[in-house]
Amino acid sequence: MDTENILEFQHVTKQFPGVVALNDVSFNIRRGEIHGLCGENGAGKSTLVKILSGVYPHDTYEGTVIYGGEELKLGDSSIQEAGKKGIAIVYQELTLVPTRTVGENVFLGKEPVEHGGINWNKLYADTQAILTQYQLDVDPRATVNDLGVGKMQMVEIAKALSENAKVLILDEPTSALSKGEVEKLMEILRTLKKHGITCIYISHRLEEFFMITDQVTVMRDGKVITTQPIGDLDQNILIKYMVGREMKERFPKGDRKPGEVIFEVKDLEAADPFVPDRKVLNGVSFNVHKGEILGIAGLMGSGRTELVMTLFGEYAKIVNGSIYLDGKDIKPTSAREAINSGLSLVPEDRKKMGLIMIQSILRNISLPNLNLFTRGLAINSYEETKACMKQAKSLTIKAPNLDVLAETLSGGNQQKVVISKWLLSKPKVLIMDDPTRGIDVGAKYEIYKLMNDLAENGVAIIMISSDLEEVMGMSDRIMVMCRGHSTVTLSGKDADKEHIMALATGVAVI
Amino acid sequence: MNISKPAEDQNESFRARFQRGIGRNIQSFILIFAVVIIWAIFYVLTKGSYLGSQNISNLFRQMSVTSLMSLGMLLVILTGGIDLSVGKLAGFVSVVVAYLQFNIWYTLLPNQVVLPAILSVICGLIVGLLFGALQGSIIAFGKLPSFIVTLGGQWLFNGLLLLVTQGKTIAANQPVFSTIGQGYIPPVWGWGIFVIIVAALLWNMFSGRRSKLKYGFQVRPLYLDLITVGVIVLVILAYVFSVNSYKGIPVPVMILAVAAVIMAFVVNNTRFGRYTYAYGGNNEAARLSGIDTKKLLFKIFMVMGGFAGLAGIVLASYVGYGTIAAGTGYELDVIAACILGGTSPLGGVGTIPGVLIGALVIASLTTGLQMLNVAPAWQYVVKAIILVAAVYLDVYFKTHRK
Repeated sequence: MDTENILEFQHVTKQFPGVVALNDVSFNIRRGEIHGLCGENGAGKSTLVKILSGVYPHDTYEGTVIYGGEELKLGDSSIQEAGKKGIAIVYQELTLVPTRTVGENVFLGKEPVEHGGINWNKLYADTQAILTQYQLDVDPRATVNDLGVGKMQMVEIAKALSENAKVLILDEPTSALSKGEVEKLMEILRTLKKHGITCIYISHRLEEFFMITDQVTVMRDGKVITTQPIGDLDQNILIKYMVGREMKERFPKGDRKPGEVIFEVKDLEAADPFVPDRKVLNGVSFNVHKGEILGIAGLMGSGRTELVMTLFGEYAKIVNGSIYLDGKDIKPTSAREAINSGLSLVPEDRKKMGLIMIQSILRNISLPNLNLFTRGLAINSYEETKACMKQAKSLTIKAPNLDVLAETLSGGNQQKVVISKWLLSKPKVLIMDDPTRGIDVGAKYEIYKLMNDLAENGVAIIMISSDLEEVMGMSDRIMVMCRGHSTVTLSGKDADKEHIMALATGVAVI
Repeated sequence: MNISKPAEDQNESFRARFQRGIGRNIQSFILIFAVVIIWAIFYVLTKGSYLGSQNISNLFRQMSVTSLMSLGMLLVILTGGIDLSVGKLAGFVSVVVAYLQFNIWYTLLPNQVVLPAILSVICGLIVGLLFGALQGSIIAFGKLPSFIVTLGGQWLFNGLLLLVTQGKTIAANQPVFSTIGQGYIPPVWGWGIFVIIVAALLWNMFSGRRSKLKYGFQVRPLYLDLITVGVIVLVILAYVFSVNSYKGIPVPVMILAVAAVIMAFVVNNTRFGRYTYAYGGNNEAARLSGIDTKKLLFKIFMVMGGFAGLAGIVLASYVGYGTIAAGTGYELDVIAACILGGTSPLGGVGTIPGVLIGALVIASLTTGLQMLNVAPAWQYVVKAIILVAAVYLDVYFKTHRK
């Protein structure tokens, strides 16, 4: 039965203890369209996806979901059910088995069986058929580990399509992709549309909605604000809907006067710890002043992350050059040494490297600072709580209390917890690796303001970002990295996007 | 901005507090409930003698050897690791101690009474710590999985044990040394200890309330604190009363109690303890927070070895000799006690009281089944069912909590 709307949400409400995640949500998704879903973190997008995927069975929420003209009733073991009904999801975090081949991943759990064994030839042939049909350029026999993120995403999509999906949900599919890979993905989505597959597209990158979607639904605080054809919208209106107020500027104005040089890196060369012949850093020099924000721009693979991890005493082995902090050559060989000499790192991946997800906000903030509260052998838990509460308050971490586990917080609040834990230790130099990745617009603004405050108070900040506008908007000076070496340091005011891109890609030399 | 410490909401009803408390410690309550049920069943089946003072005395004494090792094992499992060697390490220490008494002290210090016992204890602890440190250094600095290293350790200690004993049983019945495992604290002293514990609990409660006020936190209503302390005092009172009407508090139980209090403090209130939880929760984040994770791991396995040493000393003293079978299979009881007590095998979650209750469940089952003369085969079957069922219930309640 072909109805005009493949999915209809009718007064869907989903409550958690103390939180209404979805509040009377009603909207429709037309058959064959690409439907954008946007909203800040915590707006309810993920909850909606979890209802469609069956993570939340139909009796755990109020309201009805109509799918292809019938009510969608997913039971307790419903994740497979959803797949059988033709609803497939590509999650933000990839869910592939990295050590197995593309074909094995695509048919994981539904391998073609013959005489009690897997028919490998059929498996790879079927995989190839799917890949060809949707013009996905991947080798079915390649090991997933050897693929780049972009190709892994294709495998995810192929896996989703292998069950004859009618609706494909993509949850922030581009957050880890490069620009070229994003364009490739858009191409794939257009192909899917031609095959009549409906897509629900969730993203934080607003420009993508304008590249690909037909309609967009904006959510805020668990409610649907509007559903409109994309042609009636522009980025500013979208942001207004998302945050409920007009964002005059993306970046807050800072008023800071950088002081003397506090941190200096000279001719740094470092080797891959596993392949000593391979230099991951090949001549990096720069300095940072007190109260200054230095932006580091560069493409993925330019050595940005390798640089900060090396400065922090982790990862690469320094073979040449020096790192001066306050005039002292530090060359840390472990994170502990780096911290002791006055460096702090807000790492790239807050879930894996920044936070202990199963522990409370309090325990996370106090972890690197326990020496401040230790008297003799014992930790004074009252002093600890007091100091952490003060820090959490000043960063406006939104949580009912400090005993809440880090894993339950939104991305923005998690990042604030990571920043809090380092501010308590009063670093001289704060390194922030992609500090606003995966964070919604409102929380980004707060983190920018915080960075400005810190710089005004004399902290030197080194910020890495994949978002060129962010680097340009926040930095006093910008260092561009290309293939493991620093090309040039620009003053923030003189920089323009094209110039930085040319330097980062190695097209321009100076 | 809305950060506060809500646990101290003055207006919350007693009922609501009670429910919240249960919800947060669901596994502990299930276990305490399980202990009560197990005791009730055995009480009926043994026509009352199960809860007689002699059996209560034996029950706790029997659990002391493995419980001591559970205290160390908690740390190991908190890191996400495991130590399979502790049973045989304790066994090895027990025969070393027996060997020293029988062959060395006897000839070197023929007329001494106290000194041989003290030297035995010191040597036992050193052996435990040394081998703990050896395994710890391989695991921490050599980056080998603890599972493999301690599996090797198990074989190694078994071999060393056979070398020391030469296949024979060695007596360890030096009189002063024997009191460690077999002795009792005279009832009068027992009551004295009880009074000291009550005083310490009250002092701890009031000084905690004072500190809270000093730092500007709200305190719970006084009656709630008093109820908490009251319940603990009643449990201890019942225990002391029971064992005093037999021969008094067994010395090994006292050793266990002191060790448990120290470990509870270490785990919650020292950097070492906090770092252990952090490491288990996310070792990369812990390392990037400036924790020397290798040293931490090394220390933890050394502490584990120390507890295995202590357990070996108590074991030798309790049974009065060292044999080739000493400590065989203990590691499984030790690990089971931790898991039953709510310690996550993935690391990062677990408590000292939980582990002790877990050990109590196992000991209660073992002694009860032995009293009923149940065949060893069926003892294993019953323990297997209880272990898996308890963990299943825990998982069930955690996933079906609203």
